[in-house]
Amino acid sequence: MFKEIQVIRIRKPEKKIKTMKIKLIYPKWTKLEGQTHFNLPPHGPVVFAATLPDYVEIEFTDENVEPLTITDDCDLVAISMMLTTQIKRGWEIAETYHSLGKKVIFGGISTMLHAEETLQHADSVFLGESEGRMEQVLDDFRKNRLQKVYNFMNNRPDIALVGPARRDILKSELYYHKGVQMVDLFHASRGCRFSCYPCAVTYLGGREFRPRPLDKVIEELETIQNNRLFIVDNSLAQDTQWEKDLFREMIPLKKKWCSHTIEDKPEVLNLAAQAGAWYVYQAVFDTSDYIKDRIKMYHDYGIGVEGTILLGLDNQTEDDILRLIDFLLEIDLDLAEFTVMTPFPHTKAWDDMIREKRIFNFDWNDYNAGKVVFQPKHMSPERLQELFYLAWDTFYKDESQAQKMFKLFRKVIEKEIEDGTYRSRRQDLADISFGKKVTRGS
Amino acid sequence: MKEKNNLTDSIYRFKGEWDMDSQCGLKIHRAKNGMTIVIATDLYNENPGTSVTRWNAPLATAIAAEYQIPHNKLYFIEHTPDRGSKLTFYTETFYHVSFLSDGEKLVDPNWEKLTREEVETMLSS
Repeated sequence: MFKEIQVIRIRKPEKKIKTMKIKLIYPKWTKLEGQTHFNLPPHGPVVFAATLPDYVEIEFTDENVEPLTITDDCDLVAISMMLTTQIKRGWEIAETYHSLGKKVIFGGISTMLHAEETLQHADSVFLGESEGRMEQVLDDFRKNRLQKVYNFMNNRPDIALVGPARRDILKSELYYHKGVQMVDLFHASRGCRFSCYPCAVTYLGGREFRPRPLDKVIEELETIQNNRLFIVDNSLAQDTQWEKDLFREMIPLKKKWCSHTIEDKPEVLNLAAQAGAWYVYQAVFDTSDYIKDRIKMYHDYGIGVEGTILLGLDNQTEDDILRLIDFLLEIDLDLAEFTVMTPFPHTKAWDDMIREKRIFNFDWNDYNAGKVVFQPKHMSPERLQELFYLAWDTFYKDESQAQKMFKLFRKVIEKEIEDGTYRSRRQDLADISFGKKVTRGS
Repeated sequence: MKEKNNLTDSIYRFKGEWDMDSQCGLKIHRAKNGMTIVIATDLYNENPGTSVTRWNAPLATAIAAEYQIPHNKLYFIEHTPDRGSKLTFYTETFYHVSFLSDGEKLVDPNWEKLTREEVETMLSS
């Protein structure tokens, strides 16, 4: 008897034909003086890349970790900018590509903050969120009718369209320091219902809190191989039930993460700790028991705290700042990051300072939150600058930033060993820091 | 505030920067000296778009056109209300904003701080 022979035709998966090449660039900026320099994989470009149609081939360069080689082997150049300190470099890159006859489109947070100026250097600027929009933009480009402005500020896409981010465009080995992988960035929501004095997020993402559907959030988290994350949402403390649901869903993933502030309610902290909260950022704006108690609460749940301290607000005298620095040493912070008040466009701080004619420096390269660009209310700009350096030096006098970071790092390793997710550092990258050869111990 | 000769006291909706839907509080008062006092109040979180300060010149131009206020008779005041916050930068402020006029548009804002008492005096005239 002959067995019936079944012929199975194995169809080769169709190779998607890439018919357009986009050079996507994340411009470099000068890091804050005196700070430990870690380069995290950028978030904006990978979220943007996910909104591009399948036919697009992306070649990505993060200038913070590798030199940009400018060639004309792309169809379109896209420059993604997050920080005000990136924009002048972004404009410079655009001019170079223009000299090769290439068209340049700008997008990202600081493009939106500096749109009018960026228009002077761009063939096109994209304002708003790019989910569901890029087919139209690229169709216009192909038909040689790229618009000067794509304005979606008033028309935000359905939040369910967001993600998963295209982390595959990153050269992941460039984000290792001596064999240790940096955290990957991730977001679970957009918009913010708070409107804080120095912050432009309500202009950028809207005044409404827009959480992504939880199933989409978890689906994306499952695709991230890195076990350590930075949840970059403006604030997770926007809706208690959502926050609890998010943390509950995250528990089985066993990720470890840092984030901006979370609520200090016991039920939230309990779930956050189970979901892998490693450390959170906490703004320290005064020397009250409220701050002290809040930090203690985080610690009680095994969650570390990095204080973010903004110096130079109008309610701070020199004495207030000196008292604040002393206070920080008493409250058992794991890390502290000091910045000087910087009036970014589209913030109330900008409005107030412009009205009072207190901004004396409009060089955007200096808007790095480490340089005083305005006249403080209670002291000279020079004195505020001195206090900024004093704050860093005093806080890290007995234990350096690197040492404190190492202690925090040890905490996450302990948590990972406990739940079986620890991966040892990559020995092949032990002498490499962000793509550059280093000697051990440096 | 004691107010007479008020033309309006309402929420004013406008298209702000990049056509963003925006709104502010609006009071318009005809003073005896022939000036029209326009007070635009920032609504902070209740404004989904551009702030009064950021958009003062186009906003003043639009209000002047809508209420038929000659540019040389417009006295424009920006008001940020007290938010009840313990932070000093959310206390109430008033600024008189003077503009240059090119006949059609108001441009080049210049701010001068006013006290509440000064504003009340103007509104009672």
